[in-house]
Amino acid sequence: MAVRKGIAPTKTNLIKLKGELKFARQGYELLDQKRNILINELLNLVDLAVENELRAFAALDAAYVSLEMSSRDIGKLSVQSLVGAIKINSEMNIKQRRVMGVRLPLVKTEFEDFPPYVSPDGLSLHIPDAIENFKKALKILGELAEFKVSIMRLAQEVKKTIRKVNALEKIAIPELMETVGFIRNRLEENERDSFVLMKMIKQRMEEAKADEWSD
Amino acid sequence: MKFYLIGDEDALLGFAMVGVEGVLARSAGEASQALTQVLDDPDVGIILINERIATLIREQVDQFVFKREFPLILEIPDRKGRMENRKSLRDLVNDAIGIKL
Repeated sequence: MAVRKGIAPTKTNLIKLKGELKFARQGYELLDQKRNILINELLNLVDLAVENELRAFAALDAAYVSLEMSSRDIGKLSVQSLVGAIKINSEMNIKQRRVMGVRLPLVKTEFEDFPPYVSPDGLSLHIPDAIENFKKALKILGELAEFKVSIMRLAQEVKKTIRKVNALEKIAIPELMETVGFIRNRLEENERDSFVLMKMIKQRMEEAKADEWSD
Repeated sequence: MKFYLIGDEDALLGFAMVGVEGVLARSAGEASQALTQVLDDPDVGIILINERIATLIREQVDQFVFKREFPLILEIPDRKGRMENRKSLRDLVNDAIGIKL
């Protein structure tokens, strides 16, 4: 711990530093609250995201499998040419929500369908499966993107807040407290000094007076 | 807004079924170029990128995840499944803030 350097031990400085200390304590409390709220939010999101990730990758896996089945049935080239005929538009909206000043995305995925996609004649049964599966996967992936990006941004903010809280708690506040204590001691010391001085002067004056009388 | 895919042939074919456009990337150069290009497209909201391809341009990807509001970038497994020894979400968070959750 260090006393702040270059500060004269005067009453004015004491009052100023006391003000600063109060401000630092308030700031610490606020940041501490912010940190707790952010960590809470982060924990919730991580739980949701882990579960969502599993679902997303399972859905994607199923989608890849049904795609491969279709390729095996009618050949990759036919699948490719079929894809050109399927008319589905995937649209999504990204909105935002704010948590303690951190902007987090909200994703909503929608599909515009124009079925039937292809003539069922001479085709693989797996094609409609593949389409359904990919649709499902894409929708979950949209949510996953929302979670993942939110988590990254929140984590970043938590890191910043923790650094600020620690700086206040471990450095700024102790330093201010030390400095205030130092100035207070010095002022008291000065007061005692001048008190003794006054006493001595009084004593001498009384002695001088007594001398005068005896003359 | 739209999805966009930077991936391999299988992923491209599959997602094309549901109306997701994309571009084929087989090397770090191609992937990097594709990413730079698509970042300038205001209509793209989420970029899906295959894990194995993202690994080739890891620095570039990570930079955008943290710095840019849009678009969102998401890494997805390819046909061969998830990459081994890939970090879980929890690990990523632990790394990012240096504390254990």
